[in-house]
Amino acid sequence: MHGADILRKARSGERISREEGLFLLGHAELLDLAETANEVRFRKNPERRVTFVIDTNPNYSNICNIDCIFCAFYRHPGDEGAYTHSVDHMIARFKEAAANGATTVLLQGGVNPSLPLEYYCELVERTVREVPAVYPHFFSTSEIIGMARVSGLTVPAVLSRMWDAGLRSLPGGGAEILADGVKKKISHLKGTSADWLSVMREAHRIGYRTTATMMYGHLEKDEEIVEHLDVVRALQDEQGGFTAFIPWSFKPGNTPLEKVIPHYATPVRYLQMISLSRIYLDNMPHIQASWFSEGKKTGQIALHFGADDFGGTLQEENVHAAANFVNKTNTEECIRLIHESGFAAAQRTTLYGILNVHPLTVPSE
Amino acid sequence: MHDIVFHDRSLVPVWDKVQRAERLTLEDGLTLYRSPDVIALGKMAHAVQQNRSGDGIYFVLNQKIEHTNICVLSCKFCDFAAKKGDPRAYEMTTREILAKLTPEIREVHITGGMPPDWPWERYLDIVRSVHSVLPGADVKAFTAVEIDFFHKKFRMSIEEVLRRLQEAGLRTLPGGGAEVFSERVRRLLFPQKIGAKGWFEVHRTAHRLGIPTNSTMLYGHIETLEERLIHMMRLREAQDETGGFLTFIPLAFQPGDTGIKPRDRFTSAIDDLRTIAVSRLMLDNFPHIKAYWVMLTEEVASVALNFGADDMDGTVGGEKIAHDAGAVSPMTLAKENIIRIIRDAGKIPVERDAFYNPVHLHGDRIVGQIPFLNSVPFYAHFEKGRFRLFPVVPRRMGILCDEGQLDAGPFSLMDYLAQQDRLELMGWTIANHREVKSVLLFSRVPWAGLEGGSIGITDDTATSIRLLQILLKKKHCVRSSFERLHAGVNDWSRHDALLLIGDEALRRRGTGIKGFPYVYDLAREWQEWQGLPFVFAVWARRRDLPPDAKEELDGLLARSVALSSRDFTAVGAAHGRRIGMSPAEVADYLGGFTFVLGEKEMEAIETFDRLVRELEEETTVHAHDARR
Repeated sequence: MHGADILRKARSGERISREEGLFLLGHAELLDLAETANEVRFRKNPERRVTFVIDTNPNYSNICNIDCIFCAFYRHPGDEGAYTHSVDHMIARFKEAAANGATTVLLQGGVNPSLPLEYYCELVERTVREVPAVYPHFFSTSEIIGMARVSGLTVPAVLSRMWDAGLRSLPGGGAEILADGVKKKISHLKGTSADWLSVMREAHRIGYRTTATMMYGHLEKDEEIVEHLDVVRALQDEQGGFTAFIPWSFKPGNTPLEKVIPHYATPVRYLQMISLSRIYLDNMPHIQASWFSEGKKTGQIALHFGADDFGGTLQEENVHAAANFVNKTNTEECIRLIHESGFAAAQRTTLYGILNVHPLTVPSE
Repeated sequence: MHDIVFHDRSLVPVWDKVQRAERLTLEDGLTLYRSPDVIALGKMAHAVQQNRSGDGIYFVLNQKIEHTNICVLSCKFCDFAAKKGDPRAYEMTTREILAKLTPEIREVHITGGMPPDWPWERYLDIVRSVHSVLPGADVKAFTAVEIDFFHKKFRMSIEEVLRRLQEAGLRTLPGGGAEVFSERVRRLLFPQKIGAKGWFEVHRTAHRLGIPTNSTMLYGHIETLEERLIHMMRLREAQDETGGFLTFIPLAFQPGDTGIKPRDRFTSAIDDLRTIAVSRLMLDNFPHIKAYWVMLTEEVASVALNFGADDMDGTVGGEKIAHDAGAVSPMTLAKENIIRIIRDAGKIPVERDAFYNPVHLHGDRIVGQIPFLNSVPFYAHFEKGRFRLFPVVPRRMGILCDEGQLDAGPFSLMDYLAQQDRLELMGWTIANHREVKSVLLFSRVPWAGLEGGSIGITDDTATSIRLLQILLKKKHCVRSSFERLHAGVNDWSRHDALLLIGDEALRRRGTGIKGFPYVYDLAREWQEWQGLPFVFAVWARRRDLPPDAKEELDGLLARSVALSSRDFTAVGAAHGRRIGMSPAEVADYLGGFTFVLGEKEMEAIETFDRLVRELEEETTVHAHDARR
């Protein structure tokens, strides 16, 4: 097997196999990967333009009963610092975000067993009605499964209730690594890879659009990263409901896993993930680079490694912050970071519609 | 790395020039800087870096000492300096400085402010004390700005200042204070600093005295791209003259609490990577480009290792590693961190000394690569597979092999003979049946006149030095003393003859060396005497390498030699041009070698081995060993 042949294949638009993906991850030179990923990126998104969204990531509750060892955010009921916000409180927060320009609210919580299904329905209904400027991008697969458990309904039934309440888009978090060998170690109560995929499948069937994520840099092997990409690609073939793929590295701060994995994965590893996912996921419209999760400089570089989206401005974020990982930006800086990388910046909606374009006027020097 | 797919066609003519080893112009530099195809630019620079340092990335266990922040200058750029009496002001005693040193340090980097009242003796005392406490470490001290300050304040010539520091133990100079070589920028931002003329005077003088130096460029403030490129081109010109620069270090401007704010934000990652790549391509005569992680950030520096940089600087004393070290020293943590970053970038972490001699390779499946023209056929078509290549001169390759850090390589014959118990031959060699042209003794006098003389020996050789000893003693019956020349700049005036090998010998063969009119080809000398070819190196591998790895390596090597042998001009032309040889000369030179280890070569090895043993029994070798 030769890396050059695999990359040539990908450049010609042919799909690469698991074995070939694994070979690239282990053996391809970084910039050879980038070159091919870029070619695929411009074939799918020909404009020299990078999208971003003005958004916020608040949380309604940090109470959670699934004890993932990579998480520094959750609390058990009664723990110091445990909270659950009222719907009124959240709506007020969303209004504030909308006043600051947000068009997307990515809302997640813990998996809080004491909240009834009605709480979630009300959150969605009132957001759609009272804060029409923002598009709700609410609830990870684990929360959907938690709602099913609390309500006694099936997952499809919960998703239908949410759809009726006005929800159209789900965030892709909670996937971590879609390989059960890893999931058992880092989140044994969170369910299997099949659970995540089946919630997504049901959602796509109903008509939801969702993202897909991957959190790497902990206990996974290269094989499991490729397995993750492979199951995402297969579901996308089947349903076509994913808008974007978003990899990020595990942040060990304040987590039980910190003792085993004390470091962030390196920027080079991140760039490999961006490029490989762009090459492997030949049916994925967008690959998101994150200034937030990997740092602004790495985020800028990733735009040359196959990513065409820069994520959100994140007016608020608490999960990474709990792991002592804090990055802040604003719309102006976000546009400038994209410009400095040599691309026009386009503000988008949750579902990747273009709202406005900030052209690249000065050469990026 | 594979061929480059260019999306920006304007890069193609520049890449053609790079491949033909032609020098790039200011316009070429602008084309590179302005190209939107950052990845193609990176691949160009990475290819050039790979030719020089293969998969190796250098780092050094170093300690930075800033002996005082009191400074008579008031540069707008600087938020480090303080005036005397300022609560921030500090001055370190020699004792405090020594307390910061730990035994594993290999380079001590000393720079500071320029206080109005320190006597000259205090600086000498720092250098002398550090040198005597840590003789295994190299002292890299005082930027050109400080040297110029000593020159004026203590009324000594720059040469005198440097000579006295050198006597005290100074080995190299850091590259700071260059900023940007532009009068326009200097007047606006640092009018009190020495400017380009003064900076170059210090560095040229240092090179003349045998003190190699670094060079820097401070970018990302008010300078233009043209000014950056002119800066690089002036360094390139000076390097042509002296050859004394070890490395180029682009320093990204740090906006902060500085007097003025030429730019209120950090350089972009893309500008940083472009600057690394462009400098690798423009500075065709610089051995190394440094991604100085302290200024560039760890994240950009790690990516820069794929954009043309081959040096991560060092541990810098480990101050950056703030969190609790427990039983592990900050230095160890810093070292582990750097090794991890380099490994994750797919490279070999190469611990070095101040002169870029490799001290320790942190990795496995590493194959040694002789960086000379005569070895090109082994590597021109070498698909690495699971191996990685590290170019290293023969003598250092032998040392690394001795320490078990290489799996295979074309080992200098002496090293193979000394390590036969662990190594097995692979059937390939670097041997000659006629003139070799690249193992030459440049002498002031004919052989007989060398009796009692001093011969400077390149630091690169392990076998040719023995060949020379045998020829002197047994063929010409002459006794001379040997002294190792160190890498980089050298003062040859005190030697009666010089032994040079590899590309340096080839280059000097063309130009000649003034004052050394007698040039002897040692292979020819041996052949006339013994009627046998001379074997300089043999390919060998570790006996305990797993069988599948042995098989893979055999295949890779056989394939490369077979493909290369079809057309020596094609594989060697670019390398030849870099050392001033025409394609025809390259083909003739490579055609003079035997790469297959045959019976005659084995006989030659036995004869040489016997003579070496005889020599060892008869004499004690007085070669001064420069190995540190």
